[in-house]
Amino acid sequence: MAQYIRRRLITAIPVFFGITMLVFLLVDLAPGDLTDLMGEGAASTVEQAAMEAAVGLDQPLPVRYLLWLAGLFRGDLGRSYHYGQDVSHLIVQRIGPSLLLTGTGVVLAVAIAVPLGVAAAWKPKGAWDRLAHLFTISGSAVPGFFLALVAIYLFSVRLGWLPSSGMYRSVGGGDMADLLRHLILPAGVVGVSNVGSILRQTQSACLEVLGEDYIITARAKGLREGVVVVRHALGSALIPVLTSILTHIPHIIGGSVVVERIFGWPGMGSLMFSAVSGRDYNVVMGGTVVMALAVLLTSLLLDVVYGLVDPRVRYGER
Amino acid sequence: MKKITAFGLALVLTFALTACRGGTAESGAVPSQSEDEEVTVHYGISNSWDALMPYNSVSGSNYARMIYDKIYDRLAYVHADGTLSPRAAKRWENTDEGYAALFYLDENATFHDGTQVTAAHWVETFTLMTDPACPVLGRGNFSVFVGTDQDGCRTDGESFGVEAVDDFTLKLTFKVPTTPEDFLLDKNREFYVLPTHLLEGVDPSVLMELDLWKKPVGSGPCKFVEELPGSQLTLAANQHYHLGAPGFDYLVITVMDKSNLLTALIAGDLDYYAIGGSVSAEDAPLAESSGLTILEGTVPNTFFELMLNGNSIPDARVRRAIELALDKELLCEQSTHGLGTAAGSSISPESPYADAAVTAGERDVEAAKQLLAEAGYDGRRYTLVCTSNRSGLAALMQQNLAEAGINVIIETVDSAAMFAGMSDGTYDMGIASHTPGALPLWFTESRLSSTNNIFHIADLTPYTARIQAIRSETDQSKRLELVAELDTYLAQERPFIPLWFGTALHAQSPTVSNIDYPSSSFSNENVWEWVKE
Amino acid sequence: MGNGKRVWHRLLSDRRAVVCMAILAIEVLCVLILPLLLDLEPDLTDRTVGFWAPPSAAHWLGTDDVGRDILARLVCGGRISLLVGFASAAINLVVGVPLGLLAGYRRGKWEFWIMRLADVFQSFPSIVLILCLVTLMGASVLNLVLVIGFLGWPGIARLVYGNVLAVREKEYILAVRALGARTGTILLRNVLPNAVAPVWAALGQRVGRAILSESSLSFLGVGIRAPQASWGNLMQSAASLAVLTGRPWVWLPPGLLIILTVVCLQILGNALRDAMDPRTSAGR
Repeated sequence: MAQYIRRRLITAIPVFFGITMLVFLLVDLAPGDLTDLMGEGAASTVEQAAMEAAVGLDQPLPVRYLLWLAGLFRGDLGRSYHYGQDVSHLIVQRIGPSLLLTGTGVVLAVAIAVPLGVAAAWKPKGAWDRLAHLFTISGSAVPGFFLALVAIYLFSVRLGWLPSSGMYRSVGGGDMADLLRHLILPAGVVGVSNVGSILRQTQSACLEVLGEDYIITARAKGLREGVVVVRHALGSALIPVLTSILTHIPHIIGGSVVVERIFGWPGMGSLMFSAVSGRDYNVVMGGTVVMALAVLLTSLLLDVVYGLVDPRVRYGER
Repeated sequence: MKKITAFGLALVLTFALTACRGGTAESGAVPSQSEDEEVTVHYGISNSWDALMPYNSVSGSNYARMIYDKIYDRLAYVHADGTLSPRAAKRWENTDEGYAALFYLDENATFHDGTQVTAAHWVETFTLMTDPACPVLGRGNFSVFVGTDQDGCRTDGESFGVEAVDDFTLKLTFKVPTTPEDFLLDKNREFYVLPTHLLEGVDPSVLMELDLWKKPVGSGPCKFVEELPGSQLTLAANQHYHLGAPGFDYLVITVMDKSNLLTALIAGDLDYYAIGGSVSAEDAPLAESSGLTILEGTVPNTFFELMLNGNSIPDARVRRAIELALDKELLCEQSTHGLGTAAGSSISPESPYADAAVTAGERDVEAAKQLLAEAGYDGRRYTLVCTSNRSGLAALMQQNLAEAGINVIIETVDSAAMFAGMSDGTYDMGIASHTPGALPLWFTESRLSSTNNIFHIADLTPYTARIQAIRSETDQSKRLELVAELDTYLAQERPFIPLWFGTALHAQSPTVSNIDYPSSSFSNENVWEWVKE
Repeated sequence: MGNGKRVWHRLLSDRRAVVCMAILAIEVLCVLILPLLLDLEPDLTDRTVGFWAPPSAAHWLGTDDVGRDILARLVCGGRISLLVGFASAAINLVVGVPLGLLAGYRRGKWEFWIMRLADVFQSFPSIVLILCLVTLMGASVLNLVLVIGFLGWPGIARLVYGNVLAVREKEYILAVRALGARTGTILLRNVLPNAVAPVWAALGQRVGRAILSESSLSFLGVGIRAPQASWGNLMQSAASLAVLTGRPWVWLPPGLLIILTVVCLQILGNALRDAMDPRTSAGR
């Protein structure tokens, strides 16, 4: 077991360095100096030089990388040049709302995709299959921003049912109902945009399982179709599907930049967007590296847990 | 079944991680318990603010100023028409033959921690901010006071022109004669009083890193409650504000995409959005039919100019040709939908100096071609830079200029990158807009100076000499002449091309009353008079 | 090759695939040929009809905020959008396929490092990385194609890699190898054709996703720069409430074209995969 974990960790180390180096180079080699990207006449040359020294831009590249990496290990991602606060603090504040939005969006998507996917796999070429086909193909074809704009127009302006933006109406958090009302539209948009891919995964996983010997045996034993499909097929298909969803959550968090921006949702996406457009490089670096490391960590954890539970995995390829 | 267990474990792990992170985000985010009767004003803004320290504004934008305006106090309130009302100062007067101004501070003003605001606070604030060791942004504003260099740093051996005459009298001494009114119109939005009693013994070099700025204490009409930097700022009404308590309990400022501001106002999710609820003439009918009131601004609140790079376009004839080739009327129509007037000068048409302004000339493509031929324009390609929401204007300009044979390519960038690129000479032209001031030199003085030579003028002396002459002239009619002379010279040299002055439309929600919409363009809002039922 | 002919036949027997192919072909022809036939001026302001003119005989889809003909912009925007889609997918392919082949066939160090590199790239939420790069590099068509193209290779590489792993131990490969063929030849002649089938379906998706990414970037203000048109930045005008509610002719055509194109590409990709996969029987 220890050997398995060790092997898995060894593969993670180069990826970790790859991620950090890529982020660092990405921002560092960007044209344009951060200190001259300021409002008209906001800073004189004296102020600029002082700022450059303060940000450590007078050091050579490898030194800066190592300093930054050392900071990363201490949880110190530097200060936001824009907000004057610690980047780690900014990110910690955003992770909760981001996970809430993404989580709800994914749950919505799963609630639509999984039953539909199972039903579609059950009877290929039936009505459900056609519906699923329609969903997989068109669900992700509409640009997310357009979906959001139309949703706001319909549900907030026209019908006045749901709020168009923000997370809470009242000061200090408000109650659950308030949060839910604010959550429905953005989470709905995230959900609808992700139904297609989850549906496709469920359907193909189910189809594969339904073709396996034990299902055929179960059917031959005369078990009712419903039991076969739900207990056996869904049961075994669920794990690969949900695993892939879990590993994709950070991507969906990053991908909801547009949704968060439109709905004024205080998550990672809107932080990243304003940081990128404001050239707040420490936040850009911190945000991307945290998202990427979260992906790495999630996949590592999942593998370790699988390895713990299922001995076969330990000797397998991955 | 083992797989299921594995999956369950993984799920628990993930959610455990989620929960701890979520937990930290929540804690400390809950202010004093909300009761049902509490009234919250929802305020939308399209660009986020900077650090909550007014002298550390990286963007230097009006959006950031709007936030400082709530938490901190300024000397006066500037109305859209150029008149002034008391704020931290009750009244002001000229002294020392026009070289100094006395500000009589309001004794009732207190910081949010209960400390009374005195002249000493102002003096200490200004002293600290002009300390070269303190990393202040926008320090150039302090350079108007005696005892500072051109960067606004205090110089040794000279007495500093900011003094407390008594506890509630602040005396500011200027390098050139300046009336307190002119000073306020020009610089009121740049100066705030800081709670210097909380800054005692702090090393100026680390001043900006204090935790105080994460939970700032000011003396403005609103108190800080909590902040989600870049997304949301919650402020509480300052019940002890000396001009009166705001007619609400909380002010929640939320950053959202500009496409959603008007929508949210119509839907009732917002009560107001910055700046001044401005709405395009195009969206106005829709807003009106949705129950909002549309208010037309009383004075021009935007000035558009085409910035030119005097380094890459060194010949004044080419610069004049560019002006002649531009169809200012058409451009103005596209941008303001009939709510603007083409301009030939940066002097506002509402200013007392309007008579001295050069008027907008007729478009004359043939004359432009002739000037270009005289100047020997070689058909080189210029880069025109603008922000993405002005790409339509840029496309029109490109066509205008092409008709005269001037070759232009367009680059769209964000505004910070645009100004940075203009000042380092990356671009040749740029479309910029500003809030005009009533003073004749509001635009020219700061830009035609060696510290901020954004138009890359090779020899600034003809300008600086004229500006200096205007500044030190006290006789009104002579001053008018000098202003007219400068404006003619500008028309001749065309370091930048004035385009038009525009008036804004303000979308007014019925939920909050007493908002002074037009004055918001001048970077202040009368929140202490706002009332929400 | 007889194989190609068979695939083509199977593809033609799938009615939906034929329809999709026809639609895409028409789109491509339109954006290529229409500007030559009609006198389209996408960057010219028509001062007689003014800004935001509704559809008329002179301007079938009306004019935009600057008085430019929307139809002309739609056609020229289509060039850009389709170019971004296809060119970036081509880069995905050009980078991803060789790396996948190499990793799967050579194994060992190659496999380890190529797959770790893929891990690195796949750890980033793609839109965030695209947003950063495009903002920092500047949003020209070329940069957009390069960024979307070079960031998308790991998915393709993984697909190819997985297939190669399955194929490389097959008897005929072992036989060819035993005969002493060079690695390059084996890869090209024997491994590649068998490993590449599922890549086609993915490719259809890639093109669609690139077109959508461009439109999202346009909305965020960092897409194709004005005055150049793209379907994304044409559609972006729907962000104004007055346009969304009052002028559907502005955003509806580019919107429908985006959706239609993405859907067709998906269906075609799936059909191509099915046609190339020997396991599925002909006709669906």
